[in-house]
Amino acid sequence: MKNRLKVLRAERNWSQQDLAERLEVSRQSVNAIETGRYDPSLPLAFRIADVFETQIEEIFLRD
Amino acid sequence: MSAQETARSGRSPGFWAGLYLAVVAMIGALKIADAINGPTGFILMAASCGLLIPMVRAQNRGDCSSAATLAYNKRVIASSFGYVLGLGIAITVWRNYELSAPAVFAISLLPVLPTFGIVWAMARYLSDETDEYLRHRTTMASIHGLGLVLSVGILWGFLEMFELVPHVWAWWVLPAWAIGTGLSNLWQKVRGE
Repeated sequence: MKNRLKVLRAERNWSQQDLAERLEVSRQSVNAIETGRYDPSLPLAFRIADVFETQIEEIFLRD
Repeated sequence: MSAQETARSGRSPGFWAGLYLAVVAMIGALKIADAINGPTGFILMAASCGLLIPMVRAQNRGDCSSAATLAYNKRVIASSFGYVLGLGIAITVWRNYELSAPAVFAISLLPVLPTFGIVWAMARYLSDETDEYLRHRTTMASIHGLGLVLSVGILWGFLEMFELVPHVWAWWVLPAWAIGTGLSNLWQKVRGE
């Protein structure tokens, strides 16, 4: 699954650590999701969407 | 890295793990060569467990340690100390006293119960870990470790049945599983997972 996490993060000038702290997950989690090595669960995807104040489908895209 | 940074951050967990394995291998070699007796070997093995403390501290300094990981490390260290101590006492008592079957059963539990503690610590980690990615990584490593135990166990069992290899005690399943889990963790780290 593709995602726009890096772009959204860059728009806000957040580091991976900043986003990890907002999501209450490890930096490794953010890195794994961002690089497409790990697809988050639906609850975590909703939390990511909440942090960026947008919809899940605006962040995660079909392959 | 500057000298000041090195002093602040200390040695890596890998350094302490490598040092611990080297010391254990050296003690094993001395025991095989009959350079030390059994009790001395156990005392040295127990003392070498002290190297696990700076290893865990170094790991805790890293940015990959969740609260569940810290709790897991403490539980495994405590169980490992209990295992070495229990094994030492059990073998010493077994070799030096004529024991009844119930007494032998009781002393057999001395090293067994701490290893149950290690298994419990692993199960507790998986239920305590709130970071789903770290939990996923650990679960995958555990499954790989289990795969190694099953594969090697089946292979060895049939080779042993046909008298090609010597008998191996069943408690080796835990070290074999731990080796498989460790290799999987290393592989995931190398791949950047």
